[in-house]
Amino acid sequence: MTATTAVIYKSQRIAYWYFALALVLFVLQVVVGLWIALQYVITVPQAVVDVFPFSTARAMHTNLLVLWLLLGFMGSTFYLVPDEAQTELAWPRLAIVQLVALAVTGVTALVGFFFGWTQGRPLLEIPTPLDFVVVAAALLFLANVAVTLARAKRWNPVQGTLLGGLVFLAGMYLFGMPFYRNLAMDWYYWWWVIHLWVEGAWELVTAAIAAYMLIKLTGVDRRVVEKWLYVELGLFLFTGIAGTGHHYYWLGAPRAWLWIGGAFSALEPFPIVLMLWDTWRATRDGDGALRPRLTWVYIGGMAILHFVGAGLFGFAHTLPQINYYTHGSQVTVSHGHLAFYGAYALLNLSFFYFAIPRIKGLPGGRYHERAGHWGFWLTTLGVLGMSLAFAVAGVLQTYLERVRGEPYMIAQEPMRFWMLVVFLHGLLVLAGVIVTATHLLTLGPERRPALAAADVGAARSAAGAA
Amino acid sequence: MSDRLAKAVFWVGTLVSLAVFGAMTVHTHQSFDALTHADALDEQVVAGKRAFERRNCNDCHTIIGFGGYYAPDLTRAYARLGEDAVRRRLESPEVVFAQSYRKMPQQHLGKQEIEDLVAFLRWVSNIENHDWPPQDSPNRWKRSTERILAGASMTPAAALVQQESCLDCHALGGKGGTVGPRLEWIGGRRDADWVARYLADPGAVSPGSRMPAYANLSEGQRLMIGQFIVSLAADRRAP
Repeated sequence: MTATTAVIYKSQRIAYWYFALALVLFVLQVVVGLWIALQYVITVPQAVVDVFPFSTARAMHTNLLVLWLLLGFMGSTFYLVPDEAQTELAWPRLAIVQLVALAVTGVTALVGFFFGWTQGRPLLEIPTPLDFVVVAAALLFLANVAVTLARAKRWNPVQGTLLGGLVFLAGMYLFGMPFYRNLAMDWYYWWWVIHLWVEGAWELVTAAIAAYMLIKLTGVDRRVVEKWLYVELGLFLFTGIAGTGHHYYWLGAPRAWLWIGGAFSALEPFPIVLMLWDTWRATRDGDGALRPRLTWVYIGGMAILHFVGAGLFGFAHTLPQINYYTHGSQVTVSHGHLAFYGAYALLNLSFFYFAIPRIKGLPGGRYHERAGHWGFWLTTLGVLGMSLAFAVAGVLQTYLERVRGEPYMIAQEPMRFWMLVVFLHGLLVLAGVIVTATHLLTLGPERRPALAAADVGAARSAAGAA
Repeated sequence: MSDRLAKAVFWVGTLVSLAVFGAMTVHTHQSFDALTHADALDEQVVAGKRAFERRNCNDCHTIIGFGGYYAPDLTRAYARLGEDAVRRRLESPEVVFAQSYRKMPQQHLGKQEIEDLVAFLRWVSNIENHDWPPQDSPNRWKRSTERILAGASMTPAAALVQQESCLDCHALGGKGGTVGPRLEWIGGRRDADWVARYLADPGAVSPGSRMPAYANLSEGQRLMIGQFIVSLAADRRAP
């Protein structure tokens, strides 16, 4: 069996508009990112700094990231849920209303940052009135998904994980909304949003979406995928929840966090290894031909870079003995960029490449691939090079400022060259992301005769059977 | 692995971690007041925190290591720079950083706002956070300066520093005031000539400085003090 290749339920098509907006925001995020990198290299005149300081650009860069990833998750959910529940979405129109609400909130927030309208807490800069719009949109979203699943009464672990992850995600957002008088308390709960998102709720959503994609693409036994999904999630949550402690070493919290945070977060790479192995096993055991090839480049890239960026780069500075010197330096930035790209940007893009050909009804879910490969490699090599340059800058900063005790600005001097290297790789990323976004939004049918590809697939299956 | 075992891994893993996290959250709440000196957390500190957020300081500066990495960490800024230098950076960043390759925006803060921010940074600098960041660790200052002072306290320059009461405003090792910057910190960024010129007329070198001029000392004495201060830096970059 090869997977279904066109959408069956009309409401799945709504996902396309979520993906399209997400891609536009991704391009914008990279453009702002380039300007941020440049500010480390050149001297920005005081007159420009007074109007458009680094802080404003950084707020835009990070909020664009969060918004486009969340839109991607939501779109993926709207595509996946009708297919898994075998029914139309409960309220398709509400899904559009929700998209418009989020888009308007996003634009208002970005323009607001320019005029200093901000909550002033990194990544959670969106002012409180807009927070309420986000919460309302999230509630619409959860209600829509939950009612669809409840009406269909076809529960399975993939849906359960997805819904659980989304409720978890929305719930954690609430801890970022109040004003905290005590700075230490503020950061304690700030991490309930940020850490429990990226190393908790988002991992659940990712695991569910990836499991669904693997089942559909390879036709492997669903029960096997679901069994390993339980194990992965158990390990993710075991290491991830108490692993929040690796952010609590130096904020004025009790010393016990050094032990607990260190021990639990040192185990965090294991579930990611399991996910990597899971992907590999599915591709080996699946009887479907691995086509289109680009989908597999993305899924393979995601599995590997998720492990390198989140697992290895994270582990490198998670132990308190090391983190004492690297905390709050460009080492963190290096890990952040590669981990977000490997784990979440690539998951979203993989799903876009899976879903869009089916929404467009391209025969066999196939499409003309060439530009997509360019997009993948330009972006991926760009992000890799960028993360390595951040890492060199981070090691310099750690040694000069933290170990030798040189003043901040003196330690920054030799780092400027490496921030130039970051900027140059950023140009590659921008080129790659533009190519990818354009390719995804203009996907067309394969230009080779479809027959030839089908023959290859048949030959492979025959070889496998023999 | 059986399905039952897989489900058991999920539930046991999740619940154990949740229990540890819950217990530690209770423990943390019980410890916060003492570790952060909550008794000193008055309305002015809270007003300072609000100003800190209103001005989005945290997207350029880290504080307790979190935030933007574009500008120095603020956890111990109060202890490192001293109150006067903090105030001047808030009042007129365009003057203080005129020569720097990285600028701070002039946000036209009100007088009250500046005082609130200073109060906030003063409170933050006393949070007990296992001696982070390393570059501002008081233990580290003490170690390097005790060693140097042991050898240098008998020099004429050290006697001058004592005679002119520099430590009324500046910290050195475990002693001194917090009005001006820590003496060990200066030598990492400046050379002896610069310090000597500064002593002669602080306002000319750094407009707005509140440090008194030491024009009464001879040029040679000022240079000697400069050399002494530069020699205190953890990293003696200037000759």
